[in-house]
Amino acid sequence: MFAAPFDYARPKTLDEALSLLSKHGDEARLLAGGHSLIPAMKLRLAQPRLVVDIGRLDGLRQIEARDGRLAIGAMVTHAEIAASRTLADLCPLLVEVASAIGDLQVRNKGTIGGSLVHADPAGDWPAAILALDAEIEIAGPQGRRTVTAGAFFTGILETAVKPGEILCEIRVTAAAASAYVKTEQKASGFALCGVAAVVDATARRVRVGITGVAPVPYRAAAVERALEGQALAEGSLAAAAGQAAAGVTPLADIHASADYRAHLARVNTARALQRAASR
Amino acid sequence: MKLTGTYRLAAPPARVFAALVDPDVLQRCIEGAERLVRTADDQYDVHLRLGIGTVKGAYVGTVRLTDQQPPDRFTLHVEGKGAPGFVRGSARIQLTAAGAGTVAICDADGQVGGVVSAVGSRLLDATARMLMDRFFERLGAEVR
Amino acid sequence: MSTIVKEKVGYVGRAMKRVEDPRLLKGLATYVDDLRLPGMLHAVVVRSPHAHARVRRVDGAAARALAGVAGVFSGADLNAHCGTVPCAASMPDLKAPKHTVLASDRVYFVGHPVAVVVAATPYAAVDAAEAVQVEYEPLPVVVDAEKALEKGSPLTHPDLGTNVAFTWHLAGGDIDAAFKNADRVVRQRMYHQRLTPMAIEPRGCVASFDRGSGTLTLWTSTQIPHLVRTLLPGMIGIAENKLRVVAPEVGGGFGSKLNLYVEEAICSYLAMRLGAPVKWIERRRENAAATIHGRDQIGDYEVAVSNDGTILGLRNRTIADLGSYLQLLTPAIPTLTGLVLTGSYKIPAVRMDVIGVYTHKMAADAYRGAGRPEATYLIERLMDLVAGETGQDPIELRRRHFPKPQEFPFPTATGLTYDSGDYDAALRKAMELARWDELVGRREARRRDGGLFGIGVSTYVEICGMGPSKAMMAGGWEWGCVRIEMSAKVTVITGATPHGQGQETSFAQIAADRLGVPIDDIVVLHGDTSIAHYGRDTYGSRATAVGGGALVMCIDRVVDKAKRLAAHLLGARPEQVEFQEGRFSLKGGAGRDLGWTDLAAEAYVAKNLPAGFEPGLEASAFFEPENFTFPFGTHICAVDLDRETGKVTIVKYVAVDDCGNQMNPLLIEGQLQGGIAQSIGQALFERTVYDENGQLLTGEFTDYALPRAEDIPEYAMGATVTPTTANPLGVKGVGEAGTIGATPAIANAVIDALRPLGVKHLDMPLTPEKIWRAINRR
Repeated sequence: MFAAPFDYARPKTLDEALSLLSKHGDEARLLAGGHSLIPAMKLRLAQPRLVVDIGRLDGLRQIEARDGRLAIGAMVTHAEIAASRTLADLCPLLVEVASAIGDLQVRNKGTIGGSLVHADPAGDWPAAILALDAEIEIAGPQGRRTVTAGAFFTGILETAVKPGEILCEIRVTAAAASAYVKTEQKASGFALCGVAAVVDATARRVRVGITGVAPVPYRAAAVERALEGQALAEGSLAAAAGQAAAGVTPLADIHASADYRAHLARVNTARALQRAASR
Repeated sequence: MKLTGTYRLAAPPARVFAALVDPDVLQRCIEGAERLVRTADDQYDVHLRLGIGTVKGAYVGTVRLTDQQPPDRFTLHVEGKGAPGFVRGSARIQLTAAGAGTVAICDADGQVGGVVSAVGSRLLDATARMLMDRFFERLGAEVR
Repeated sequence: MSTIVKEKVGYVGRAMKRVEDPRLLKGLATYVDDLRLPGMLHAVVVRSPHAHARVRRVDGAAARALAGVAGVFSGADLNAHCGTVPCAASMPDLKAPKHTVLASDRVYFVGHPVAVVVAATPYAAVDAAEAVQVEYEPLPVVVDAEKALEKGSPLTHPDLGTNVAFTWHLAGGDIDAAFKNADRVVRQRMYHQRLTPMAIEPRGCVASFDRGSGTLTLWTSTQIPHLVRTLLPGMIGIAENKLRVVAPEVGGGFGSKLNLYVEEAICSYLAMRLGAPVKWIERRRENAAATIHGRDQIGDYEVAVSNDGTILGLRNRTIADLGSYLQLLTPAIPTLTGLVLTGSYKIPAVRMDVIGVYTHKMAADAYRGAGRPEATYLIERLMDLVAGETGQDPIELRRRHFPKPQEFPFPTATGLTYDSGDYDAALRKAMELARWDELVGRREARRRDGGLFGIGVSTYVEICGMGPSKAMMAGGWEWGCVRIEMSAKVTVITGATPHGQGQETSFAQIAADRLGVPIDDIVVLHGDTSIAHYGRDTYGSRATAVGGGALVMCIDRVVDKAKRLAAHLLGARPEQVEFQEGRFSLKGGAGRDLGWTDLAAEAYVAKNLPAGFEPGLEASAFFEPENFTFPFGTHICAVDLDRETGKVTIVKYVAVDDCGNQMNPLLIEGQLQGGIAQSIGQALFERTVYDENGQLLTGEFTDYALPRAEDIPEYAMGATVTPTTANPLGVKGVGEAGTIGATPAIANAVIDALRPLGVKHLDMPLTPEKIWRAINRR
């Protein structure tokens, strides 16, 4: 486990980081918590010439309630989210998902921004980000732009964050009734199927984000449509959950076949919706 | 690893076929193909930077075209080796006219060896599918 | 013969914490990778990414040109100097590939070493390894042992002309009559999956050559420094007495380090050739690919049963997938399966036919339990199948086939003699601990509510304490030495090589009691061939059963010698001297007494010794056990299944184990807990996966599922004590009991939970998806 040679830079400001990225282009990689990049480098599956450590940048490490919204800096660790009183009160889904990630060591170092940009199709965050319909703020050489969660995940390990850009912040609206139900891949602890559900009983609307099942995490649109305007009774939730894998080509690997993943999507969606509705 | 895909392209088979056997087009369509140098009829040396996101590996190898029956079918072979191991694959591509366009059916069989298969098996099939989809997406743009 | 001491009040039998633990917990232990020698070079092995390929060319020029590179070596450079990997197990019709240290013209498994690079730093070595150019021409691959037996299959070794490595059979009793007289034959095909041992510390070694004396020291993460010292000289051409092998702290072996591996030979040879110490540390992916695997047997099993439910005979044909070559004991593993195939039951006739088959995978060899978990799993699954098909209670079926306590020593149809046992006592105790009737009631209640609740039992017996020399390939004795130092401190040396089993503690307990000295005065040394000159090391649950025997012999001899000296000093005859709790006095209690301090000082100062008395107070001994030992017990497991997802929850786990006399119950419990954890892994989720091209897909912990703390239920543990007569301590060994006894209990529980759905058998691992499919008949 010895990485290929690389240079290391630790910018102090976001602008400095952005200019390093624009100068070095594809040869540079951002280092956040290091729990995806460092293993890839040690296996030499990633061989960046320059590692830009954004661990000391100001302004990416706070959790704030702002204008009825919550803003989470990209460098906030999973453990910080899991322990956040603000989030526990206003957006417990983030707390629940953070607690389901990896183990304590991973949670202590890994960051929400790093995890989102790495975009492992079996990561936990995508489910929550989709179910919360989050906004993601990205800084680039031309300034800042905002992408919705639905447009963020573009492929396996690929996102809307382009080369030269830095994910800065994740913004969500407070949501009380929510749940995350995850079936772990036994070896890695990644999600074979993770379903995040947010239920708005007054507006009679649900949002369901599913990770681990498809090559790209997705919103279970058919489930959401089926429940639009419906009273959220147990029977209707379970029936709607039957659509959780509709239109999806599930992943298949040695840990789970495609049809088992689709089945888990349905079961975990029903469980997540029921749990969320009961909160 | 076996993959099958069906793609619709907005050009007749003859045009699609011509594009597919053109090394410049091939280079633009094969994700990560950095250089295609002709070494014999229908055979090219290639430098590949294959991968997704952060995870990329450099391979050196060959691209070969065999069983050519213009404008209906041919087989594309890609082989590469590098520090992460090796990639080997062949894709039988069958072109059928469909209205003004073409339906391409691709039957691919691939093998990846080395560190990538040892640590990345869970993503291999899906990644291969994504790369195949992108190949035909780009090909579609080339022949439009 | 042995010294009589009052063990009740002593250290033996007490649950003492391990003296090993503080250094391990504080990070003060020295593992191979902690060694840093002046001028040390670092080796990295270039391995094949192909399962089968012709090696056209190995070009190290680019690698050699890199800064810090001391050498790049291919098979052409090393094979003539390093011999072939030794296999100690022989079969009459064995066909074996000549497995050189590096591939010559062909590679035959993913991870096969092709070249080795040596450089000044590990980074430079990895860079250089990447720069080695190897040209491969892929060849046809076979990874499935049954397909390997089909006509026209690719050959693992084309020059052998067949994939069959050997055939072996075992027969006892009249098997034909058994099946002829049977009213019914219960049949099941079972596959025992391939497993990766995955010790937390991968392998690694440092070799250092002293040019002046011509001696080589090899520090290696091994279970068997002595066997390495026996076997390595033949590979690299050094005299046995110029080789010192040291196993420093070893972070887990489970049989995977009961081997001599090519890297140990390569580093040793290169240290001599380059005149500098050479270190090699295995990476996790190498460990998964190129350290031995375990199990991987498939077979068709048949039980002849009479109408009254009596088992008349057991026969099977087993295909053992050996992988692509032979490590130290590869062919012997399935023979161990055969020996204990009848388990703890009176089964009068048995026949087992084994075909050892080569495939393009890593060699299989001894993994914790080695052959016996396979046998125990088979017989315990078969007992449940027979019970199911004949409508008998699985407990009663087992019971009626147990040999009774008075029937021991019990001869089996497989030719063994079980030393001692009371199988029903262990069963009764386990049922009591499990609150059996309540548990069964709970199962019925859950079933009425539509739940899937199952109870599994395993009444296992294992063969341990390896073993009498007549049955072992390189001697089964153990060596030890006990020295009363001049200061009366006690040094115990054992040729067994504990690496986590805790003999630094248990041997000190035994010695402290028998010598009557404080335990803190004792140091137990092991694992270094220049200290423990001879030994047969640790495997097969033998260290206490056999090594403990040597320890007792040494203590007896030292005490005898001390008595002679005491008699001289007390002016009496030796037989008049009594030894008790560390004091030597005259029988009848008259006069002064002497302690070890007095005697040790006198023995070494040597001014006042009896005539013909050799100075010093030290004895060494080789202990030869008269038989194997046969620990046994009952494990009971209860599981609850999630009908929707197939997830297994272990709701109760009871283990009652009888390993004979207990030296330290805490160590025994630790061994069992770890073993049961490994069984949970095997029963529920572990498996080594190669794809059809021979690519290893479980090459890291991201894909190979080891049990974690959250998977481990609370165990209810108990014991019965039935001493063995095979050694003076009456101990049977416990290192493998957990992995042997637990797996079938868990599997039986899961299948019992599915029984109402008509499921009779599922192969391990019993993953949620497999269970979901069984529930839904998909």
